Amino acid sequence: MKMQKSRLQPSFLRSALFCLPIAFGLAACNEAPEQEIETISADSTSSPFGDQAAVGAEKFAANCAACHGANLEGTTLGPLLSGRPFMQRWGERTPSLLFSNIKANMPPGGNEGLVDADYLAITAHILNTNGVDGITAAITTTTEFKIAENASAQLANRQRSEPPAPEGITVAGNVDEFVPFVPITDAMLESPNPADWPMIRRSYDAHSYSPLDQIDTTNVGSLSLEWVWNMHEGDSEPSPLVYNGIIYLINPGNVIQALDGKTGELIWEHWTGPANRQDMRNIAIYDDKIIQATTDARLVALDARTGKQLWETAVADNSQGFENSSGPIVADGRVILGLAGCARYIKDDCYISAHDANTGKLEWRFNTIAKANEPGGDTWGELDDIFRAGGETWITGSYDPELKLTYWGTAQQKPWVPVSRHLTIHDEGLFTNSTVAVNIDDGTLNWHFQHVPAEALDLDEVFERVLVNRGEEKLVFSLGKYGILWKHDRVSGEFKGYKETVFQNAFTDIDSVTGRVTYREDIQNAKLNEWTSACPSSAGGKDWHSMTYHEPSGLMIAPLSQTCLENAAREVALVQGGGGLAASRKFFEMPGTDGNLGKIGAYDVDTMEEVWSHQQRASFHTGTMSTGGDLVFVGDLDRRFKALNARTGEVLWETRLGTSVQGHPVSFAIDGKQYIAVTSAVGGTSPRTVPDVIATEITYPRWGNALYVFSLPEE
Amino acid sequence: MTYSKLTQTLSRVSKLCLSLVLVISASSLTLNEAIAAEASGFRARLSPMPTTPQTKNTITGGGEAVASLAGNRLTLTGEFAGMSSAATMAHIHNGPPAQPGPVVAALTATAGTSGKLSAEIELTDEQVAALKANALYVQIHSATNPAGELRGWLFAQP
Repeated sequence: MKMQKSRLQPSFLRSALFCLPIAFGLAACNEAPEQEIETISADSTSSPFGDQAAVGAEKFAANCAACHGANLEGTTLGPLLSGRPFMQRWGERTPSLLFSNIKANMPPGGNEGLVDADYLAITAHILNTNGVDGITAAITTTTEFKIAENASAQLANRQRSEPPAPEGITVAGNVDEFVPFVPITDAMLESPNPADWPMIRRSYDAHSYSPLDQIDTTNVGSLSLEWVWNMHEGDSEPSPLVYNGIIYLINPGNVIQALDGKTGELIWEHWTGPANRQDMRNIAIYDDKIIQATTDARLVALDARTGKQLWETAVADNSQGFENSSGPIVADGRVILGLAGCARYIKDDCYISAHDANTGKLEWRFNTIAKANEPGGDTWGELDDIFRAGGETWITGSYDPELKLTYWGTAQQKPWVPVSRHLTIHDEGLFTNSTVAVNIDDGTLNWHFQHVPAEALDLDEVFERVLVNRGEEKLVFSLGKYGILWKHDRVSGEFKGYKETVFQNAFTDIDSVTGRVTYREDIQNAKLNEWTSACPSSAGGKDWHSMTYHEPSGLMIAPLSQTCLENAAREVALVQGGGGLAASRKFFEMPGTDGNLGKIGAYDVDTMEEVWSHQQRASFHTGTMSTGGDLVFVGDLDRRFKALNARTGEVLWETRLGTSVQGHPVSFAIDGKQYIAVTSAVGGTSPRTVPDVIATEITYPRWGNALYVFSLPEE
Repeated sequence: MTYSKLTQTLSRVSKLCLSLVLVISASSLTLNEAIAAEASGFRARLSPMPTTPQTKNTITGGGEAVASLAGNRLTLTGEFAGMSSAATMAHIHNGPPAQPGPVVAALTATAGTSGKLSAEIELTDEQVAALKANALYVQIHSATNPAGELRGWLFAQP
């Protein structure tokens, strides 16, 4: 019924693991690798272990190399499984645990035809390649020794032949030589200068809206390239910061650059490390500091003038799998930050944390997983605390300075399917897949709404919370992978309405009064290794690409994706250190969309009706950004960067960049001249993998991270 | 959309079917145009069955089917191309969008990696109701993908 309804709208045109890229250092997958790296492996002939590893090498080549590289060196689709990073993650763990984690999670497309002996052989190959040479017996499902204790460290360290990455400042300079640096205050962040884009999504309310109106619907057709800057390679989904004419740009691998916005001149560059080519979506600016979360879950402050490091603190223990892919906001003098990589069965779980912006000192944490003796702790069945996993906060939240509440989305329970979690569809799992409104002063929970209790398809509701005022109403909007636009009162948390923005068949009912969802029966009762077919897929609906609120028209304009998935749960043993995601997935076009993966939908925030949509074959890979010139900017997989009329959806301008357009467009002004900036980028999880297996005809270079800056030609 | 509403938009359907038929094959143009003029039209975009990075190059192709309903009689024609191996069977199945279901009827399909589809089928009242609820789909099986290589749900044309 829902399908038919959406088809009748007047304008029917219309993300191992896919949401947690490398919780186990194992990946969702995609393309064949192209690297040529010297293979160095232990002399493994003439022992049962060596023979097992030799078989494993073949199995690895057939099942794993497409993502992790022929020599375990990693690709943009899957992390390297060798050398120091591997030993950091696995050195203190055992072969049996490595075996069970690989078996439960890899390969993500399904494991039909792979038996325990194959997984053991692959495990042996990974160990052998990492210099495990202290054993001769073939490993079994119960082989228990610390991996590092049987490996030649020297061999493991020779795995990567690249020169060592730089550390610290690589290009020295001072912003003051370009423009006098003025420290940025709370007041300036609460009401940003129209010329600036001083945080992710520009403002605390996460509108991704620039009031600048020099570029408008009448002249956008003349928009031209001002300058371009190539960025470091790796997975990239960045949101540049712009303050007082200076662009602060987060690059893959935890590298930050300061660029003169007018000319593209590099002022300084700082390598915080680790130099791992991993993705970080955003950084923050406060006072005279650039504040950076790192992919290995540290928090670092740099001098905004020079890039010099000022302080550093640990957010969580990276060796336990914790990581960050999004950075902080700074509100009320506090750095507010989420956490990811929380799918393991370990004592610690995910949290939102607040640190003193001047020192990095921890002020509070809000835990997203309720332990047995805590409020909400009875929503996890009989599960021991150690096996309660998920609830990542992998997308940066928003903030209401009047209410002094910070709003965050949380990811779903892990593993992905209730039966894999040893739970049922009735075990809601607080505070996963929820909106949480947290008091900024002490980190206590003010209210929460769980959008999808007991989530069962890897479709999380973690994305940005957009704060909108309509008359006396203070609202919060969110849009998760199910493609449902949710509207809540942000003072009380009361449910105010919803809109299905793309076809979904996961829920048979969404209660119009309470917002309570009811899963389809076969999804409720999904058994191990039983395929379930549902829409949307793990690419969303909507994913990390943020939506924009165009206040002048009252429209919420969202980048959406139309694909579906088949999902089958895998078995996960309840063992300490285990866990994971544990499902096989396949992907297909969403019926009734005519093969259009990409959709931009505009929704009236009062009526929740769709006002216009723009649909196309290529999926969209940037957030939407709207402007005072009644424009909305967005970029796609097919290298197109477009400007649409925010009120009608009409495409007014487009250009083609070097590779897929990915990131968050921003607008800023220098000396009264407006600029539009966007990144081209590669890498990512479901939002990339799913289109790559469905829209196989769309091609683009596999490298080409860059920042493009556009403006109107001089009169 | 209700059946009566559909019949009120016959001329639009006719135009749409004409353009679709042109895409599909010149030889079936007259037939489809005639059918469209007196019956309600449906269309399915045929696209690969669920794929993964490992299977995206072995589950391939695309196509289109158009169908018209006169009373309970469904007339379907279509075309497909680019499959990884020759078609072995084609069926209409009953299942709501994106949810696989049982076979309703067999279609005639060219035994090649590309070719044509056709069928004249007398549907039951339940099957007609399913069609109008977008719950019938076309599936083509191939030698190397016996579980199906191409699939597409039939949707009423506006």
